Amino acid sequence: MLRHLTTTILGQRLRSAVGGDVLRRMYHERVVDHYNNPRNVGSFDKNDPNVGTGLVGAPACGDVMKLQIRVDEESGKIVDACFKTFGCGSAIASSSVATEWVKGKPMEEVLSIKNTEIAKHLSLPPVKLHCSMLAEDAIKAAVKDYEAKRSKSNGSQDAEPLGKAADA
Amino acid sequence: MEQTTHLQSSDDFAQRKTEKEIRVALRGPKENHSILGVTAQKYHCWNCGANAENSTQFLFCEACRSVQPVNESTDYFQIFGLGREYKVKVEELEKKYKDWQKKLHPDLVHSKSQREREYAAEQSARVIDAYRTLTDPLSRAIYLVKLEGVLVNEEERITDPELLAEVMELREAVDEAEGTRALNEIQVQLQEKLRYWSNSFEDAYLNKNYDDALASIRRMTYYKRANEEIVKKL
Repeated sequence: MLRHLTTTILGQRLRSAVGGDVLRRMYHERVVDHYNNPRNVGSFDKNDPNVGTGLVGAPACGDVMKLQIRVDEESGKIVDACFKTFGCGSAIASSSVATEWVKGKPMEEVLSIKNTEIAKHLSLPPVKLHCSMLAEDAIKAAVKDYEAKRSKSNGSQDAEPLGKAADA
Repeated sequence: MEQTTHLQSSDDFAQRKTEKEIRVALRGPKENHSILGVTAQKYHCWNCGANAENSTQFLFCEACRSVQPVNESTDYFQIFGLGREYKVKVEELEKKYKDWQKKLHPDLVHSKSQREREYAAEQSARVIDAYRTLTDPLSRAIYLVKLEGVLVNEEERITDPELLAEVMELREAVDEAEGTRALNEIQVQLQEKLRYWSNSFEDAYLNKNYDDALASIRRMTYYKRANEEIVKKL
C-alpha cells in the first residue's frame, strides 16, 4: 500500500513536477528525499478518540493535505502521526516533515512549529512558502480536532483548551 | 489637438529619432495620455495612417494589411469580437482564432519590415494567449472576474471540511482506480460536477456575487486537477 502510494502519488508527481514543469523547478535534496523515502504516509481511523485529523487545502493549486496525530491521553504526547497529501513535491515534503517533527512531542509544543522552520529545512523557494504554511495549518487543525473530540466526550471543561492556541 | 496624425511627409518622418517618437507622433497625444475606455479615440495605422474601423480590435490594418502594435487595453474578449460573457461558442472562437493567425502569424510576414515582424510576434502571442484563456472554462472564469478587479489568491489556504473531504475522497479514488473503465466512470462524474459549478459561476458572475464566483472557481480548480490526474493515468 505504501509503495503503491509512493510510486503513484509521489512518483508521478516527481516525474511531472520535475520533468514536465515548464519552469524546471529544482527541488532541494531533502524534498527529493521525502519523495523517495516517504515517512508516515497513511491513515488513522478518524473515529478513534485518540486521533486528531487536520484537513487543509490550497485551492488555487488544487492541493489537499491531511495530517493525523495519535495522542496518548495520559501524557498528552503525540505518539504517532501520518499524512496524505495530494499536491506538489513541496507540499508533500512539508507534510512529511511535519509528521516527523510532531512525533514524541507534547501537543502544546507542536502548536509552535512554524512554517518558516519547515521551509528552511526543505530550502523551499519563495513561491512554495505557502506549502509550508499549509503544513503548519494542518498540525494546528489536527490538534484542534483532537481537542474538540476530547471536550465533546468529556462533557466537562478542562483547563484552557489548546484549541484557542491553535486558532492564534 | 491634431486629429490627422498620419505621415505628413517624408521630411517629418526623417525628423523622428526613435521608434517610440514615431509611434507617439502618429497616434497623437490624446491617445498616449489615456487609452482606457475612451470611445471617441480613433486609432491610426502606423503605416498608411488609415483610421481603424473598429478601435477595439485594431490588430491589423485592412487598408494596407499591416500588423499593428499590441494595445494592452484591448481585452481578450474584444480581440475575439465578444462581449464580456461567460458562455462562449468554442467553434466560433476557433474560427476567429484561425482568421487572426492568417493575418498576424510571424511566419506570414517574413517579407515585411523588422518593425512589422516584431508587431506580428507580439500580436500573435497575445492572440494565442487570449485564445487559450477563453477556450478553457476555468481560465475564462478567472479572467472574467479579473477584468472586474477580482483576483484569485494564488496562496489561499482553506479548511472547509466538506469540500476538502470530498476532494480527498476524489483524489484517493483516482489514485486507487485500476483500469480504464473505473477511471472513465470517475471522469464522467467529474464532468458533471464541472458543468454544475460552471453554471454556478455564471449565475454568480451575472449577479456580481464575486464571493460565490470565487467559490465556484475553487471547486472547478479542484475538479480540473483531479481530471488531470485521470488523464495522466489513462
